[in-house]
Amino acid sequence: MSNIPAIDRSSRWKTVRREVGRAVGALVIALVVTFVIVLFTSKAPFDAFGQLLTAPASKPRTIGLWLDDVAKLTVTGLAFSLVFQARQFAMGVQGQVYIGALAATYVVLTPLGATWAGIPLGIAAAMLAGAIYGFLPGIAKAKLGANEIVSSLMLNYIAIEACNFLVRVSLPKPQAGVLTTNEFPDTAVYPQLIKFDFLNITRLDLGLVFALVAVLVVWFALYRTSWGLKLRLVGHNARFAEYAGIKSTFIMVSAMTASGALGGLLGSMFVQGQGYGKLTVLFEGGLAFEGILVAIVARSRPLAVPIVALFYGYLRQGAQLMNIRTDVPAEVIGVVTAIIILLVSSSFSLNFVTRLFRRNPAAVAAPATAGGATK
Amino acid sequence: MALLEASGIGKVYPGGVVANDGVNLVIEPGEVHAVVGENGAGKSTLMKILFGIEQPNAGTLTLDGRPVSFANPREAIDAGIGMVFQHFSLVPSFSVYENVVLGSEPRAGIRLDRDKAIAEVRALSDKFRLKVDPLPPVRTLPVGQQQRVEILKALYRNARILILDEPTAVLAPQEVQELFVAIRSLVAQGKTVIFIAHKLPEVLEISNTITVMRQGKTVGQVKTREVTEKSLAAMMVGREVALRVERKPTDQTQRVAAVSGLRVVNALGTEVVAGLDLNVHSGEVVGLVGVEGNGQAETLEAIAGLRSIVAGTITIANENATPMSVLERRGLGLASIPEDRIAQGLSTGSTVAENLVATRLNDKRYVRNGLLDLKAIRANAVRLIEQFSIRVGGPNYTVGTLSGGNMQKVVVARELSEQPKLLLVNQPTRGVDLGATQFIWRTITDARDAGAAVLLSSADLGELLALSDRLLVLYRGKIVAAFINTPDLTPETLGTYMLGLSTQTADEMKAALK
Amino acid sequence: MMELFVTVFSAAFFVTIIRTTTPLLLATLGGLIADLSGALNVALEGMMLIGCLTAVIVSVYAPWYVAVAAGLGAGALLGLIMAFFAYRMKADIILVGFAINILATGGTVFALALATGGDKGTSINLQSKAIPAVDLGFLSGIPVVGPTLTALLSGHSVLSWLAAFLVFAVWYFLYRTPWGLWLRGVGEYPAAPEAAGIPVNRIRTLSLVVSGALAGLGGAQLAMFNYVGFTRDMTAGRGFIALGAVLLGARHPVGALLAALLFGAFEALAVVMPGLFNDIPAELIRMIPFVVTIAALVLFSIRAQRALALRGVK
Repeated sequence: MSNIPAIDRSSRWKTVRREVGRAVGALVIALVVTFVIVLFTSKAPFDAFGQLLTAPASKPRTIGLWLDDVAKLTVTGLAFSLVFQARQFAMGVQGQVYIGALAATYVVLTPLGATWAGIPLGIAAAMLAGAIYGFLPGIAKAKLGANEIVSSLMLNYIAIEACNFLVRVSLPKPQAGVLTTNEFPDTAVYPQLIKFDFLNITRLDLGLVFALVAVLVVWFALYRTSWGLKLRLVGHNARFAEYAGIKSTFIMVSAMTASGALGGLLGSMFVQGQGYGKLTVLFEGGLAFEGILVAIVARSRPLAVPIVALFYGYLRQGAQLMNIRTDVPAEVIGVVTAIIILLVSSSFSLNFVTRLFRRNPAAVAAPATAGGATK
Repeated sequence: MALLEASGIGKVYPGGVVANDGVNLVIEPGEVHAVVGENGAGKSTLMKILFGIEQPNAGTLTLDGRPVSFANPREAIDAGIGMVFQHFSLVPSFSVYENVVLGSEPRAGIRLDRDKAIAEVRALSDKFRLKVDPLPPVRTLPVGQQQRVEILKALYRNARILILDEPTAVLAPQEVQELFVAIRSLVAQGKTVIFIAHKLPEVLEISNTITVMRQGKTVGQVKTREVTEKSLAAMMVGREVALRVERKPTDQTQRVAAVSGLRVVNALGTEVVAGLDLNVHSGEVVGLVGVEGNGQAETLEAIAGLRSIVAGTITIANENATPMSVLERRGLGLASIPEDRIAQGLSTGSTVAENLVATRLNDKRYVRNGLLDLKAIRANAVRLIEQFSIRVGGPNYTVGTLSGGNMQKVVVARELSEQPKLLLVNQPTRGVDLGATQFIWRTITDARDAGAAVLLSSADLGELLALSDRLLVLYRGKIVAAFINTPDLTPETLGTYMLGLSTQTADEMKAALK
Repeated sequence: MMELFVTVFSAAFFVTIIRTTTPLLLATLGGLIADLSGALNVALEGMMLIGCLTAVIVSVYAPWYVAVAAGLGAGALLGLIMAFFAYRMKADIILVGFAINILATGGTVFALALATGGDKGTSINLQSKAIPAVDLGFLSGIPVVGPTLTALLSGHSVLSWLAAFLVFAVWYFLYRTPWGLWLRGVGEYPAAPEAAGIPVNRIRTLSLVVSGALAGLGGAQLAMFNYVGFTRDMTAGRGFIALGAVLLGARHPVGALLAALLFGAFEALAVVMPGLFNDIPAELIRMIPFVVTIAALVLFSIRAQRALALRGVK
């Protein structure tokens, strides 16, 4: 029996290698497609593509923007990973971000916000609000069987409108008419992480630390607690979980609630971060949904989430910078995102690509179709 | 000249499983041709090739002497081949006639010609003595009638050759006789029937010719009148086997489980268990006999806590378990081996170690303060892998990478890793080959000998008679007969009660109800 | 309050309801066909949005009906892509759907910026066309009811009439033709049609194509009648609401019509309310359809649960 751990490990590495190969393959295909699009639509396609691929790493400021995106993508990726592992398709991260941001704003604009408690209380309020917002579609599904996809999507729109409304009507503003609140007191804004004379990375704030802590917490919860094992069992086979005496509805609701808390945290990271330091309408800019990509490419494994976020955040920032510096709109990144999700979530594999080029199906063995199940 | 001939058929599935290897089959017109073999002998694959579901890697098919190949079932159907699967292919909410005509509907313009469809189904069912009403949705029909709908489907498509895949597996003995009447009527009217089976007495009764398969190869083709059950069995397994289990005398005085006044209602609102009383004692196997769908599965689920009940009490180990959760019941010493062991008894995406503790997540040995003790979980897995000789690379391999037989062992290992007080078993050997059957029977008997109370449900009367100490016959959710198992108890006796043709009086049942 | 009452029972309000209902109804029928074939089409939203933009851009250069056909075609193409990844490449259909939604959100803005020369918000500087309204003014000639009939029936989009006809056509298709039987069979228990030699994957693919085509048609109506021109994210959740309407309509075409009318009525209310009540914030009015969808979903689920409970199932 002594050779078992070695075999265990080698099989795990094989899985990791295959998954990385698939992700890289998908990325390359997506970039090629994007390049073709840029080639046809831009006056200076090579410049534009060059910006996309190099701009984020070019200056400390852009590195800050990139890492700030990485932190946020990590948290939304974790939120989606949690529900995906429980095989729930709750799509409510976006709504939780807005509700969490609102809760944080209400707290930090009280006198408490101007004390040391501004940051912790803001985060706590945001996570609590997000958790409640995640709980709602969960309990509606568990008790009534209401489809969680539809209900969570509706709650997203409601949260956005609620945010618009409260910013316009209820929250204190610097002047009438603007759609943004007063700046938060400095004590309520995440401090910048690296700020020296020789190296000043703006935008990079405490949020990155929270994101990494969240990675460890989610990993620990999923793989070291009985709740996590139950959650994964429910996700793999709900019938079996029930047979084994696991209360799958409880697991389902708690997974959606925990995911909601992460969504709320992301809301706080937005408004209490260096990027804003205040609440503005529509601040989230569609980032929450990109957590789907991060979670899928990471196969919902928390430890892989920040790595995927690192790469994807780079592209995302590259697109923003390309938008500013060339004639190609940043939204072209939507094409990249969609292609990567389509390829990674399908039975696409590198074998498939080689087969496509070789045009000799018999030469390639049938692609292994493991759902990426080993951890 | 042979009607249908397959020669040198080879089929290798992706992943390297050789299902057929040089298989030959010669079907003469107007005969009932049985194909027999153990589970996994390659019978189903061969039939799927004949019906165009799978394509062979090697070999040829000829029909009426002309070479043919079927890319899909449609082409096989057009060539006059029909197939009735073991798992019926019927849309539950569709009516009988809709199911029969599905795919080859009579049309009036772009409209489905309903009246014509109904009339044709009526005509066919009269002609071939397959009585069934065309109008009700098939989900409301008993299994035997659903099977007739399946046969009608094939006949409606002008099948000359009818393949029946283990048609008797789901039927009570009397229903089997009705099916045989229909088969004889089909043959009399010029049809040819291929009959897949592994119950040898039935094969000997209905067929003219038998092809025996073993491990993906054809062993031989024989005339039915020239063989005996024994010689056929020897051909099937390559050695003489007698499935028998030795049972020790046990003390059966201690009552472990008691169910009284149990009533269960299904999702459609029909009462499927209608006031059931039964007791199970330590050291005995109680067999639940009945045609499928008469409340056996629901009774087991209700005792396990997987199904809510309308009325009744369930006592396990002298404690009232009625309000208890699944885990609490398991805490009292309940274990259960579900029918669909892979779909319900395993999480194939999780590791072997995780599967082996999945039912013990409230056990202090593996979980403390909500945290997993990974070392203990691993040690448990290593121990059980060795004890039950599960073939796997290690405890952290996902169950999905194991072979079917080893997956089954994971379930059995988990449920029997600690001696249970009450063991529930549903269809333990369905879809399992002879070797594995022996292993599972042995395991159940060992649990009994060690003092477990076992409640067993099976569609296989032979299995029930081989394993049980007492037998309770269920019909429409009620116990209609009870027997103490003796060598002179026959399947036919049980059959009359299974079909509700007769009912024992309370006095007759008393002795066997304990 | 009185004003609201008068408005709600006016012919003009009825016309507004028909207008707001039409895109929703088309998308709901699309969702219904996908649903009955066994696929939850969460991409209705993205298909509509791309349908909107395609129709608007094509209408700049071609007659309105070509533009409508282009919107329809764009939706159908997306349905085909979805089917390819879900059925050929074995991806989870919900993830495929969201990939299409993400593609739509980004892709439409990208394409809009290209088409307008940099405007990422609206197509205001494009000369896009509208779908003509059907004028039934001649009905006024009918004595007594004539004027009322004209007020109620005249001025609807061509597509509104088409949508009404499609409710019937879809019903007839599903419950009276052999292909409808195939489609429902594929959705309920694919093994049965498969064994009967029906090409299951082709049916599933075609269902998604039709589903996308209907959503694209809904998009064309939205961007060429309800509004003329494209605005970023102009579908604003209608595709998702349609998904709710399929469930609420008990997976039946007539139910789909009723559910779409319900949501359409609330959207119409949201259209007329700002004019009547200045003090009700626009944000809250815009929330109405989403709140109603959730409420409807919950109520429907409660009803379904109660129906089960009545039959003694917990």
